[in-house]
Amino acid sequence: MNPQDTALAACAVVAVYAAIRVALEPDTLRKLPFLNVLSFAVAGSIALLLPHPLSIVAAAAYFVGTTLESNAIASTYAGGLDRRE
Amino acid sequence: MDISLLAFVHILVAAAVCWLNFVVIDLLFRLPASGGVVGASAIGRHIEAKGGALPGGIMMGNIVSSPDASAGTLLAACGVFIAGVPGGLLAALLVFIGNRICHDPGYAGTTGAVSATFIVSGFTLIGFSPAEFIAGMVIAILTIQGISHRHSSRLLAYLWRVRGG
Repeated sequence: MNPQDTALAACAVVAVYAAIRVALEPDTLRKLPFLNVLSFAVAGSIALLLPHPLSIVAAAAYFVGTTLESNAIASTYAGGLDRRE
Repeated sequence: MDISLLAFVHILVAAAVCWLNFVVIDLLFRLPASGGVVGASAIGRHIEAKGGALPGGIMMGNIVSSPDASAGTLLAACGVFIAGVPGGLLAALLVFIGNRICHDPGYAGTTGAVSATFIVSGFTLIGFSPAEFIAGMVIAILTIQGISHRHSSRLLAYLWRVRGG
């Protein structure tokens, strides 16, 4: 295996592990850090699978999108208001 | 040495380098001090309720809620893998935009992306592949966010006390 394939295998294993931890964690807010690990692994896999200049934009857009979703879920559970509005 | 075993060792070294890069920058930018949004503080309190430490929990909540230095390191490694130093700097710009989208007033993500760009391109000079840094950053975030929230939040709180609060 070349370095790229080894890195992709590591990302895939971490992604599957994080997905299992998300499914097993009962508390919604404590699911989010595991979901964060899953997003890291998927964003890394996007760049490793598609080495094209636009993949940087795709990986960043995917990652920022999932972060914003986690942010919204956590803030909604915590009462719904962003302090700095 | 077998090439895949060498790549595996490189990934572990890259994980340690990425871990130091993002933890040091996040602590310098005071991420454990307070939640950037109410959701980040709530994640910190839920981690504390399960036996963790509050400052570490808040830092983990902030990592979840906005692209911080760890996201900057990952996307900079992706950028360097695809397009070298200019790709890493493009990733830093995208992290900066992402911070603004997520209502984050800080610059931890952008700083982490710029420093990671130069660290990763420096390591390519001694035989590392940027792909190994992508996997290394995924493993580094796994150790903080994905194994034991109780122990990682206590470790982060300890480092936060060492920094001086």
